[in-house]
Amino acid sequence: MITDVVGGVVTPQVTWNMVRDIAQLFDYDFSRHAFAAGTVVAVVAGAVGYFVVLRALAFGAHALSHIGFAGAAGAGVVGADAVVGMLLFTVGGGSAIGLLGTRVRERDVAIGTVLAFMLGLGALFLQLYRGNVNNTYALLFGDIYGVSALALLITLAAGAATLLALACIYRPLLFASLDDEVAAARGVPVRAVGVMFMVLLALAVSDAVQVVGVLLVFGLLVTPAAISERLTARPARGLLLSSLLALLFTWLGLAVAYYAPGPPSFYITTFSFVTYVAVRVGTGMRERARGALPVLESL
Amino acid sequence: MTGASGLGRVLLPLSVVAALTGCSVAADRSGGPQTLQVVAGEDFWGSIAAQLGGSHVSVTSIVTDPNADPHDYESSSADARAFATADYVVLNGAGYDDWGQKLLDGNPSSSRTVLNVAELLGKRDGDNPHFWYGPGYVRSVADRITADYERLDPTDRSAFESAHAAFVNALMPYQQALATIGGQFAGRRVAATEDIFVYLATALHLDLISPREFMQAVAEGNDPPASAVAAFEQQITSRQAAVLVYNVQTVTAVTTNIQDLARQAGIPVVGISETIQPLGDTFQDWQVRQLTALRAALTSSHADG
Repeated sequence: MITDVVGGVVTPQVTWNMVRDIAQLFDYDFSRHAFAAGTVVAVVAGAVGYFVVLRALAFGAHALSHIGFAGAAGAGVVGADAVVGMLLFTVGGGSAIGLLGTRVRERDVAIGTVLAFMLGLGALFLQLYRGNVNNTYALLFGDIYGVSALALLITLAAGAATLLALACIYRPLLFASLDDEVAAARGVPVRAVGVMFMVLLALAVSDAVQVVGVLLVFGLLVTPAAISERLTARPARGLLLSSLLALLFTWLGLAVAYYAPGPPSFYITTFSFVTYVAVRVGTGMRERARGALPVLESL
Repeated sequence: MTGASGLGRVLLPLSVVAALTGCSVAADRSGGPQTLQVVAGEDFWGSIAAQLGGSHVSVTSIVTDPNADPHDYESSSADARAFATADYVVLNGAGYDDWGQKLLDGNPSSSRTVLNVAELLGKRDGDNPHFWYGPGYVRSVADRITADYERLDPTDRSAFESAHAAFVNALMPYQQALATIGGQFAGRRVAATEDIFVYLATALHLDLISPREFMQAVAEGNDPPASAVAAFEQQITSRQAAVLVYNVQTVTAVTTNIQDLARQAGIPVVGISETIQPLGDTFQDWQVRQLTALRAALTSSHADG
């Protein structure tokens, strides 16, 4: 993308005055909305993402946005609203993934199979639909700098509903995610809980994608939780840490993108990735140091 | 080189100096002669808006890849800031620049006027959005921009009137090029890989014979149906079209194949671009250059009778 900036619009510069730099971030509505929507999405994605990582569903989270596209194209064919098609397909696809893949090993294959079929349907719908699907499709994908006041309220409501639903299934979901066989033996409806989580994930992803875009949602769903999982084994603490990390990366990313060229997702995913690598290296060294001891003793 | 970026080369260093010396963050509009801050979604509209405003407007053209996947596309904060501080915004509409509409929604303003070209022309989402390839549409948009400038800045009314007259005058070579081709080659059958050429073909009285499904699918970044590809290839190999026009900015394996077939069949191939090339040229110079190439191709063609 080439931007040709002329005269009037002055790009803000970073000064040595931190307070002023930070205050400047909130000069415009678009930036205030971006921080507000980013905060909600980060907290929710961090919490939901904790279970995505625990249940090894990163591929599933990625697949859902592509499945949503097939739904949008399908809605175009029958003349329905694209959002309705997207929600129907993500919830349907999510349920199918949940039903077909209870165990981690099965799940990867179930996601791939459902995704391939949905993409096939999407290709068919694209050809059947004579209008410009890309145009309708573009509306489905939000832009963090294009969040309207109404969209902000909807995000807030949807985010609160997602967290509430997650709290309701928290205990059985955690149990089933940590050890599905023991959970099943103890009478937890493992399959039903899995499907419920996929539906929850589908709804949360579809909502957030319309406000802040795919990359941001996906980036916040996996990496912060993966870092958190490396740092603590305690679920409640891990979930909280995951949300806090997602929030931190989002704020940092939005702040840097305000002053530097490049889209915010780039900075957010970069901060996440660098932290993840650092944590992997750090915990890896600690484990090796710990692992080396018994070897030394045996000598 | 009276376009937006020529002016930008002069003004950009000044604005950096202004920022470094600590003045102005958000639009500094206090005092001084009024300059309308104009943002155009694409540089073809930006070039027209800049010529119509002269020194009384400051135009920022935001050129994005029209075929960017909305899946991956994200605006920069500079783009968002430009929309937030604009007095006047020109968007193409009809789904062509939804990102611009989003940036407007993200930063509501009561002191901003928005010209949606599709709405001005009574077009809807799903209609062919390449309005700047329709000479009549270009004129309607220019008239509307001048009317809006005069309403937003009544004190400079006479300057806008003369800028409009000058622009209409500057369009003369463009009008002449259109009339020449229209007069000389009316009714000739031509082919195009994309529907970017549809409005221009109509204005030139050329008979665009390529399958509509093919042109639309390519414009939208989709795969054309096999039947449309077969029909198109048949038209080319049997030399039913005098020239083949393709969009240099949406080249795919399918369109490259059609171009190769055309060359083998001895049909001249002409490239036209979605946005102004080279960057920073004026709308009319760019269009005239393309029309000159098209005329040369039509003249040299031995296909189609």
